[in-house]
Amino acid sequence: MEPSIAEAAVKGFLNIIQLKVFCAMLVGVGIGTFTAVAPQGLGIPLVYAILLPVVIKWEPVTGIALLIGASSVSAICAAYLPVLFGIPGGAGSQATILDGYPMGQRGDARRALGASFMAGGMGALIGTLTLAAAIPLAKPLIYLMGSPELFVVVLWGLSMVAVLAGRRPLKGLIAAALGLLLATIGQQEQSGIMRYVFDLPYLLDGISISIIALALFGVPAALDLAVKRLGVEKQPAPLTGKLLDGVKDTLREWWLVVRCSFIGVWVGIVPGIGSQVVDWLAYGHAAQSCKNGRASFGSGDVRGVIAPESANDAKDGGDLVTTLLLGFPQGVSTALFIVALLAWGFLPGPEMIKRSPDIIYSVVWIQGISGIMGTLVGFVLASQLARLAQVRYSIMVPIIFFFVLMGAFSVTRDSADLLLVVGFGILGYFMRWYGYPRPAMILGLVLGGLMERYLYRSMASYGFSWLLRPAVIVLLILATTSFIFALRGRMRGAGAQTAEVES
Amino acid sequence: MTGNFTLFLIALFVAAIWSGWDWPYIAKLMPVYVAALPGLLLAIVQLYRDAVGWQSRAGNAAGGAIEMDETHSGIADKRTELRRTVAFFAWFIGGAVSIWLLGIVISLPLLVFLYALVDGREKLSTALIMGACGYAVISGLFEHTLEMRWPAGLLLG
Repeated sequence: MEPSIAEAAVKGFLNIIQLKVFCAMLVGVGIGTFTAVAPQGLGIPLVYAILLPVVIKWEPVTGIALLIGASSVSAICAAYLPVLFGIPGGAGSQATILDGYPMGQRGDARRALGASFMAGGMGALIGTLTLAAAIPLAKPLIYLMGSPELFVVVLWGLSMVAVLAGRRPLKGLIAAALGLLLATIGQQEQSGIMRYVFDLPYLLDGISISIIALALFGVPAALDLAVKRLGVEKQPAPLTGKLLDGVKDTLREWWLVVRCSFIGVWVGIVPGIGSQVVDWLAYGHAAQSCKNGRASFGSGDVRGVIAPESANDAKDGGDLVTTLLLGFPQGVSTALFIVALLAWGFLPGPEMIKRSPDIIYSVVWIQGISGIMGTLVGFVLASQLARLAQVRYSIMVPIIFFFVLMGAFSVTRDSADLLLVVGFGILGYFMRWYGYPRPAMILGLVLGGLMERYLYRSMASYGFSWLLRPAVIVLLILATTSFIFALRGRMRGAGAQTAEVES
Repeated sequence: MTGNFTLFLIALFVAAIWSGWDWPYIAKLMPVYVAALPGLLLAIVQLYRDAVGWQSRAGNAAGGAIEMDETHSGIADKRTELRRTVAFFAWFIGGAVSIWLLGIVISLPLLVFLYALVDGREKLSTALIMGACGYAVISGLFEHTLEMRWPAGLLLG
């Protein structure tokens, strides 16, 4: 008998009551904090790529604790660089610079950080609660889905290339096609035919996505550090002021936090928006809706820190709604999270809700707890973390070398792993050089296998008549609409930019 | 130069179509019809764009969209950039070859130590500490604590 929602939630909680899960979460929190504070362009996608080969050998809940712990905290602590150095702390915290840095400059850095941690913590909580609430709401719909509907959902996910391709839709589609092609290497599950194996036993099971992700993101990131030899050259803003003042500011502006958190959740859930805009959407909303916002925003108004930080942290919960309930990613990090879930034997999306709802609730609990931990880490280590921002390239590059090579070699411990990581590292370098978006390739790679499986099952069970199923038609309309909206958004942006250039 | 990479992708898609053309329909549906053929057509369009300088004419044509991936941004001195890039790949490939020959337990700590010392110009003590930490992770944590046995290298096996 299937567990009820309440039973699944309780079992999900019991899953995480283990010392090793908490240890993994703590390690994840540490890694996420470092990622947020290190200025050399480390990001959660790189961290996921590095951790993936290791965690897929662990028990699922322990691995999930490490991954979710890292990403959750990375978002909460993302305000360090904007406030102290005036540089972006990763996607989603760029707008924080506008008011956070002026606050730091005038001696209110701790107040800005306090506001950002508190707003981030509250945002993360709202995102997590939304995720928890979405599961029972989605469950009845999930039972209407068979292979044809699941195929359309995966197709919908693939249409996300329109977003992940960023400014280069054509190159994005080519990269996605390459990803789909690579996903077909190995023995085909349905027919047993060897595809692109070339009599090499190593290729029988296909190429490990974790090696490809590791090479595509790890090698160019390390190369960037080695070539530019950057660290933070600026002196940080003085770490003065009171954290508690920022907390009070945030509690006073609780309604702004709630509004912006829901903007973040909405950006996370709705396919096609692109999560990189979340902070700007929230900042724009706050500047327009807050009293005297137009005059004071941009010159050190604490509400200009609260708004983007709450939205940025709430977005993770929204991202997970789409990732866990529909099974398609909203970005590279969630694509790699799906890779991990697949490696543990879960099929994210409707099948996972049917078969392993407790694991989904474990994700919810871990997301909530690591959000709280991240907020605490921010408050407790506020002074010490600023030092981490000054780690030299000469220390970072060998560390990345170490984890990329070790991560790749640990997959099958075959020397061909090394060949692959070098080959895909070079491919990643050229893709970045020539502007072929790597996230689009990862998307194709992740969804290719699922797409083929569901398409085969649909055709085998229904022939072409599956195309006439009502749910398929509704989902196709939704997928097409979101795809068109994504493209329209790009075109409008292009128009706006042209107009700006002309003016 | 941009065209060269697109040509490489075209060659890849052509090879994929060539290899899979004789497979049964069920096996070639995804790789040939869904991935390689559309990929080839799109890459040919891209090659045309590369040839006529479409990207530069359009500037940031699709420019309002958010950039979802980092793009290449080198340093002003192109010779230094090339030298550092070549050196980087030499270290990286050297590390991979060394793992193949000597095994990971020796090679990775050695790579960390040498890179920090030679390329990074860190102090000997710092490089030694980094190498030792690398050894502690790979041998102590993985091999002894997690009981993950690393294969010996070709020369030491």
